[in-house]
Amino acid sequence: MTSTDTGSTTGVRGPVTRARRSARSVLSVRSVRRVPGAVLVLAGALSPWASVVLPGGAYPDLATLHLFDAPHLVTGFRLHLVLLGLAALLPRAARPAGAGVLIIAFVHTAFLAALGAVSFGGPVALAGGALLVWQGRREPAPRWPLPGRAVVWPALAAAFAGLLWLVSATLTAGGQSRATNPHGGAEFLAFLGFAVALLGILSAYGVLAWLSALAERHRTFSVAVLLGCAMLLPLTGAGTGYWMTVASTIGVYAATAIGLNIVVGLAGLLDLGYVAFLGIGAFTAANLAHTVPFPVAALAGAVAAGLLGVVVGAPTLRVRGDYLAIVTLAFGEIFFRAAQNDLGGLTGGANSIPGIPPITLFGQAFDRPVGALPAGFLYYALTVLMVAGAMAVLANLKHSRTGRAWLAISADEDVARAMGVHTGRAKILAFLVGATLAGLAGAVFAHKLGTVGYESFDFSESVTLLAAVILGGMGTVPGAVVGASLLFVLPEKLREFSDYRLMLFGLALILIMRLRPKGLVSS
Amino acid sequence: MTLTAQGVSMAFGGLLALDDVSLTVPERRVVGLIGPNGAGKTTLFNCLTGLYAPTSGLVLLNGRPLPPDPAEAARGGIARTFQNIRLFPELSALDNVLVGRHTRIRQGLLAALLRGPGFRRSEAEAVERARAELAFVGLDPAGRAPAGSLAYGDQRRLEIARALAGDPSVLMLDEPTAGMNATETAAVRELIAAIRERGIAVVVIEHDTKFIFSLCDHVHVLVRGRLLVDGPPEAVRADARVIEAYLGAA
Ligand SMILES: Nc1ncnc2c1ncn2[C@@H]1O[C@H](COP(=O)(O)OP(=O)(O)O)[C@@H](O)[C@H]1O
Ligand SMILES: [Mg+2]
Repeated sequence: MTSTDTGSTTGVRGPVTRARRSARSVLSVRSVRRVPGAVLVLAGALSPWASVVLPGGAYPDLATLHLFDAPHLVTGFRLHLVLLGLAALLPRAARPAGAGVLIIAFVHTAFLAALGAVSFGGPVALAGGALLVWQGRREPAPRWPLPGRAVVWPALAAAFAGLLWLVSATLTAGGQSRATNPHGGAEFLAFLGFAVALLGILSAYGVLAWLSALAERHRTFSVAVLLGCAMLLPLTGAGTGYWMTVASTIGVYAATAIGLNIVVGLAGLLDLGYVAFLGIGAFTAANLAHTVPFPVAALAGAVAAGLLGVVVGAPTLRVRGDYLAIVTLAFGEIFFRAAQNDLGGLTGGANSIPGIPPITLFGQAFDRPVGALPAGFLYYALTVLMVAGAMAVLANLKHSRTGRAWLAISADEDVARAMGVHTGRAKILAFLVGATLAGLAGAVFAHKLGTVGYESFDFSESVTLLAAVILGGMGTVPGAVVGASLLFVLPEKLREFSDYRLMLFGLALILIMRLRPKGLVSS
Repeated sequence: MTLTAQGVSMAFGGLLALDDVSLTVPERRVVGLIGPNGAGKTTLFNCLTGLYAPTSGLVLLNGRPLPPDPAEAARGGIARTFQNIRLFPELSALDNVLVGRHTRIRQGLLAALLRGPGFRRSEAEAVERARAELAFVGLDPAGRAPAGSLAYGDQRRLEIARALAGDPSVLMLDEPTAGMNATETAAVRELIAAIRERGIAVVVIEHDTKFIFSLCDHVHVLVRGRLLVDGPPEAVRADARVIEAYLGAA
């Protein structure tokens, strides 16, 4: 293990002096500058937001012209604004809180404007948020010493419970669909703004770095608790058949994105046709679904995709960089066209392959509820395990001879050779592992959906997967999961923007490259 | 283990960068290679490490021809550094050295996935060895900082540590003191002496003639692709052709 004690370099510049210093700075002249912004945010939150009664009821809560109608009932995004306004009084929190306020206020103001309503609170909160971002201090986060065992377990358990809440709240934010909540898209985006602000505040105080150093040091415990928390998701607000299905779809794409992260993030091989491997896994499993049990079909899908990974990898060894991207793009297109035209009668062409039975193990069909747990829980649990397995593959390989060789190749291929790395073999291995993971995910995908058609594997899916990897952080273990969750939940939530999906991804990527060039999860 | 060039020529288009060069790197010796800029020193290194396939002539490792493949050369025990530093800048110093250890680690993909006791022992050994190499060249053995963030002189040392980690029998250093001040240069001279003490043969390209003559057991002078003179330092220093062609000009 190369990084067992990352983060332990804090030394003895104890948090005590720092705490004292920041206690003083709360009262200092500079801190007063944060107050107007915070006050504006609070005022904005408590002001009326809509001048009209919106279709589907008042938007979203207390959206009337009554000022301070029932402050104790301030809920939803206005509660978030109040919390962020208060948090902004902490010196390091002002900037992230202000950024969150900007997102929340902008989303709702724009949404209301699109509905022809005038928002009073919106511009006030926007001004407050801007003031906070402008006035807030930007300093490097403090680094905290790692604590003894007594603190570790509760701290990590609390952190993962918080994570579970965040995941559940994000997933359910804005409700199920347009049918039940016409403002769902706006509410979801605004909640993302709140989540970003929360994480930003925690990271500004060095809490996230501290927690990840802790988790790294107590890896087994962390993995166990994290898995436990994931299995608790059905007991939260997200515990309905609908959300379980959404979550397991995300899981399939997350596992696929992790495979792509091995190819792109570790080995540095730009693959623009990667979704084809998901397709090969899916079609293989679909064709075998009626003849063999699921584990065999899944294995066959993984092996078929892995073999094709090698077949695609071999001829690309002579090309580098841009040329590799073009070759893989062509491969993806060949697969797509072949599937569209039902090559060899294996894909069903335009008719898809319907009627794939659900996975059944020990007499239990995966699409039925088990006990009190919602239908779809079993698929959810399966994809959680699959994602965990894929993460373990990525983490284990990254810290090994193979993974270091990949990183070396992606940094400087000639030097990697000079260090004795057989670069061709190593690249093929990367294609093999990445494609195998995608193939496995594809098999689950086929059974879960019940039908597989070629449209699921077009170029835009490859681009989205690549965007997920870049957005999350190339080569990082949780990066692809975070990226895939965001990119595959967004279209679900923002159906009104489905025509602009790729454009919005492009914008998001530009923003990320500008603000966090190493991705959301960077070490 | 001896590394030999026999009548090596290397042409780039019409340019003959190496013209019938023969030399031998005996075991446990420090061999100096000097010559004006553009003489072909780096090209000779590239031929000796399998990066270039010579246009004609042979490179032999222990009497057997070296395949034109740097990976094979590395496996055969030839390690090198680069004239313009080529580290993996985003990787930590420790990981850079671990990549240098690549050829000596046996654990493959499956072992890495399963992380059994054999794998963990091998990783622990590799890390321990990498730390030792970092300490040997005078760097922080923890090696956490990204290689690209190190000071210039430290990056040069890190390249040497990375090359040493593969247990080479021949270490080829391409201008290891370029851009260093007098103190740093003296430290590198001591480092090379210590490397020889470890039983590793060193080939070093250098412009600083004082450095070369005080350090090397044997010196080759390359001018416009041809070996002008070779011999022990005292002889080379006194040679009239060398004084005229190289030292005189400097
Ligand atoms: N890859 C190459 N392609 C074309 N010409 C090269 C190449 N490498 C070196 N040369 C030429 O070969 C000659 C010797 O270069 P080099 O070996 O780098 O010299 P030195 O290291 O002694 O300064 C120079 O004229 C250089 O321009
Ligand atoms: Mg040179």
